[in-house]
Amino acid sequence: MIDDIRVGALIAGSSIKRGNKKTLVFIVFVLSLIFMNLVFLPSMIGGMTVLFTGFMRDYPYGDIVIEPTGDNTYINNADNVLKKVRAVEGVRAATKRLDVGASIEHKQNVVGATITGVIPTEEYDISQYPYIIKEGDFLGDLSRDEIIIGSIISGTSTTFGEIYDDLGETRTGSLVDVTYSNGVKRTYKVKGIMEGNFELVDLNAMVHYKEIEDVYGLDSGKATSVVVRIDEQGTEDEMKDKIREAGVNEKIFTWADKSETLIRQAMQSLGAIDTMSKFVGLIVGAALILIIIYINILNRKKEIGILKAVGITPRSIVLSYAFLSMFYVSIGIFAGLILYLSLMLYFQANPVVFYETMEIRPQIDVMLLIESIATMLTLSVIAGTLPAWSVSKESILKAIWGR
Amino acid sequence: MITVKDLKRYYGSGDMTVKALNGVSFEINKGEFVAIMGASGCGKTTLLRILALLDDATDGEYTIRGLKVSSLPEAERSYYRLTQVGYVFQDYALINEMTAAENVYILSMMEGKSKKESYKVALEALDKVGLKDKHDRIPDELSGGEKQRVAIARAIAKKPDIMFADEPCANLDTRNSEQVLEVFKDLNDNYGQTIVMVTHEPWHVKYVDRVITFQDGVLVSDEWVEEQ
Repeated sequence: MIDDIRVGALIAGSSIKRGNKKTLVFIVFVLSLIFMNLVFLPSMIGGMTVLFTGFMRDYPYGDIVIEPTGDNTYINNADNVLKKVRAVEGVRAATKRLDVGASIEHKQNVVGATITGVIPTEEYDISQYPYIIKEGDFLGDLSRDEIIIGSIISGTSTTFGEIYDDLGETRTGSLVDVTYSNGVKRTYKVKGIMEGNFELVDLNAMVHYKEIEDVYGLDSGKATSVVVRIDEQGTEDEMKDKIREAGVNEKIFTWADKSETLIRQAMQSLGAIDTMSKFVGLIVGAALILIIIYINILNRKKEIGILKAVGITPRSIVLSYAFLSMFYVSIGIFAGLILYLSLMLYFQANPVVFYETMEIRPQIDVMLLIESIATMLTLSVIAGTLPAWSVSKESILKAIWGR
Repeated sequence: MITVKDLKRYYGSGDMTVKALNGVSFEINKGEFVAIMGASGCGKTTLLRILALLDDATDGEYTIRGLKVSSLPEAERSYYRLTQVGYVFQDYALINEMTAAENVYILSMMEGKSKKESYKVALEALDKVGLKDKHDRIPDELSGGEKQRVAIARAIAKKPDIMFADEPCANLDTRNSEQVLEVFKDLNDNYGQTIVMVTHEPWHVKYVDRVITFQDGVLVSDEWVEEQ
């Protein structure tokens, strides 16, 4: 076997050293494109996922979100939960929120929205809401008759303006009538308009936590969610366990748990495209590698016959083509990686703009790269071995003289 | 050394059967330089390919030093081709991407010798055919005669029992043909190499000991050549 490997390496080495360089360049070019095809689209989709999951973290869910158990609408003792959570080492900040359904009316324009009751001062450490006020100001501790509305609802969104119903050019200072899901009506002055370029944000509205408590007649300390930010990103799972150990018996999710569900739904189509693209890319890649190597081998059929005729074992011949094809694919992967990383650099500087304002930067997924490299190398061995094995089984006369 | 008994090679079947070899028998002893001659299509190349284990006989028996090689399984035939038989092709059949030395020493490496040792063997073989100084040339950088001499070096490097040559001068001019035949003669005279060569050139006869002539797949004459 060692002799077979040595001879296989000699044949492959001489073929690489003195073979047709133009053919080599062409093969490497095609293989680099196959590699690109395998990794580029998933990277773009990865970029979209990161963008959307970033939104999830910055707005509705924080790093960790605690929600009511079972069919309960509220966490009944949210203050107690907050106390326990804040005592956990590694927790940077936490707040409670109350989400309710409502319709908002302004000059006979009516839209449905989720209104979130927040404790304004706490939100500065929890979310980006206070920082995305494009007009007016964020809520304050005394904001009881004021509301923040999303730019889509206000009719000032340049991104989603034509897709959703809106209140018709509502501005800071405008008065809007809110009818809550329990039928209670309140009139609020628009204190600010927020724009996060994200539908889950821009379709929402926000009032003071106490206002929701008051409207729904809730006992003190009820919440639909408790949102937590932690000191060290990446330790969410560990922190989740710590919070549970601290005696919190409600449902605890990391942002990833929540995003995964939402992103899975939101990006179901993209995911299907991604899967199809990977599958088709793999099949096309495998077929191309096989064709390239097979054509190469057919051109060398006579050489294979000669090698057999002088006593070189079929195993050495098959190994030489496995080495050769591994070399082609390795160089192809290398060229593909350079091409891929160049494109990644380009798109980091010039991101793909989505909905006019959302910038998608493709993500380099190391696992995806490793998987793609391993897949292509495996394919290369199969693609190099199968045709060579098939030709090496032919009779010497047929291989050399075609009969 | 070589015993061929009632060897047959048929192609096709029924009325379309072509009898390339139709019951050939002869013996060749160690150290002989034999020319197999005859008109095109008489079966001489078919015979050589069977003797060199590149093709199978339809019927008959063929032994080398008493071993019935015609019935060996492919793996053993491959090993036999590697270690016991040298074959020189009409069109040189060198690997174009390998240097002269690599074309020769690949076989020694296949036999398990180290690269250094194999290289030494290759240089010795190339020296015998007068091409030691061109060991690093690839076939495209050699003349037709030189290519054929590299092919001979490849065949003799492993010191085979028998060397077969299929019209080795067919693509060469007279001067290059003479060089190649001189190499054969030298190997035969000085190293006792058994050589079986297919040729259709009458003037090649002066280099060989014996001439076997074929016609329509049948051996028609087997004569010793008188020393001139």
